[in-house]
Amino acid sequence: MSPSLPAWSEPFSGDHRAALRRLAPFDPIDRAWAFGSGDGEGAVVAVVDSGVEGDHPAVAGCLRESVRVEVDGDDAIVVPDEPIDAVGHGTACAGIIVGLAPRATVLSIRVLGSDNRGKGLAFATGLQWAIEHGASIVNMSLSSRSESLYATLHELTDRAYFANILLVCAANNVAVASYPSLFAAVVSVAAHDVRDPDVWFYNPRPPVEFGAYGLDVDVAWKAGGRITATGNSFAAPHITGYAARIRAAHPSATPFEVKTILAATATDPG
Amino acid sequence: MTDEPDQLIPTLHAVSLRIEAARRLAPPAGGAVLRSIVDATVALFGAEAASLALYDPGTDRLVFEVAAGEHGQGVVGLAIGSTEGVAGYVFSTGQPLALSDVARDARFGRETAEQTGYVPRSLIAVPLVDDHGILGVLEVLDKRDEAGFDLRDVELATVFARQATVAIRSSRIERDTASLLRAVLVAADDWTPDGRSGGGLDAIIAAEIDALDADGDDPLWALADEIALLRAADPGQLEIVRDLLAVLVQRADRGRGARGR
Repeated sequence: MSPSLPAWSEPFSGDHRAALRRLAPFDPIDRAWAFGSGDGEGAVVAVVDSGVEGDHPAVAGCLRESVRVEVDGDDAIVVPDEPIDAVGHGTACAGIIVGLAPRATVLSIRVLGSDNRGKGLAFATGLQWAIEHGASIVNMSLSSRSESLYATLHELTDRAYFANILLVCAANNVAVASYPSLFAAVVSVAAHDVRDPDVWFYNPRPPVEFGAYGLDVDVAWKAGGRITATGNSFAAPHITGYAARIRAAHPSATPFEVKTILAATATDPG
Repeated sequence: MTDEPDQLIPTLHAVSLRIEAARRLAPPAGGAVLRSIVDATVALFGAEAASLALYDPGTDRLVFEVAAGEHGQGVVGLAIGSTEGVAGYVFSTGQPLALSDVARDARFGRETAEQTGYVPRSLIAVPLVDDHGILGVLEVLDKRDEAGFDLRDVELATVFARQATVAIRSSRIERDTASLLRAVLVAADDWTPDGRSGGGLDAIIAAEIDALDADGDDPLWALADEIALLRAADPGQLEIVRDLLAVLVQRADRGRGARGR
């Protein structure tokens, strides 16, 4: 490092500039370009939720690994888990993602906790595991209201962003603070009222920048079943599925660029 | 606030009298609050039924405390694991859930019947949450005149549940404040100037309430009114009150030592 330059200036100085690149020119882009083959091949998607039922027809063959977070007091550890889902919610999310990106790989991280402290801690620990175990996209259809975990989740969100991992979060269903869905580095998603999975909207007024299909969605559920469900929980995995297609077609795209492509290919609101 | 230790216990005693008097005039609001929440839920959504489950940390289970609507009563008293099923998911994640066409999946329909009392066509489950955490889950089952719940219903249920949580939390604080003061008095009772014993506290309170002067201008009532304000306090403030009372009791103990007992 040159002693005459602050560290942050180094990438922009002298020979180091050879590592820089410009964004691709802003030619008009469409979904055919954005999605490529559209199968999500190569994208590794972590689902932080209630578990994923590995043999459910909606996710069959895509689930690579299942873990769960166990909380004991102030400690949380990640242990191997059976490919099961005690609720159905995580399987619903994984099913939506695989439905849109059938060759994507899914990692399941089960984070249900039974007390207020355990919940937030399990969630943060699960997110950290996803970041450290090769996920390229993390779907979080749940979030934490824990103020005591604000800094931890903020740090993890930044780590993910700098590690080229895209975090997709369901916004809370009412306007209360919850994390990391309100952090700037994530893709925050709420449901729109159009019953069409191919419709998503971009909202230039943050924090919730994307609206996707979340009303009366036919989703996979526990024990091989299916159910009709409504909520932001089911909108987020639609954006995750589209993001998996984009990351597969454009492996060098950063989270910032994936977000830009999602915004550029959003449904025309007019 | 009086400084002399030998005036502190009578002060607390008087505060307790005021609270006990209020409690006896208006019985604990807890049950009535829960019932009014489910009744209001049924009216608000035009629902067939509504039920409310509270978390019991002792057993790590969600216990259905009240229900409204003729189809909803079967669930009252049921206890389920805090991470099981729809209610468990909502409780353990804080994320609301709306499902419709529940009976289409036979296994899920049966499970839902076991956890709600009957098989609804559709349901919304929302967390009873405020800034201090999640107390339980509120469920709304079946609109009478529509096929299912929409996004607006989910938002409305979530907002309503937040208001309900404030009401439940307030009624708990009212109850906890009274029992807290009562516990302090019982603990300090063997020191009270006239030597009353803890076991006779109920009778003493009853007798003194009979003799109370409602319009008394004793400065102790001002303190009692301060305590009444605690009914609107949050648990964090209650912690401070608890700490302050601990200090008072310590001072009383020192006073006892000085008196050479």
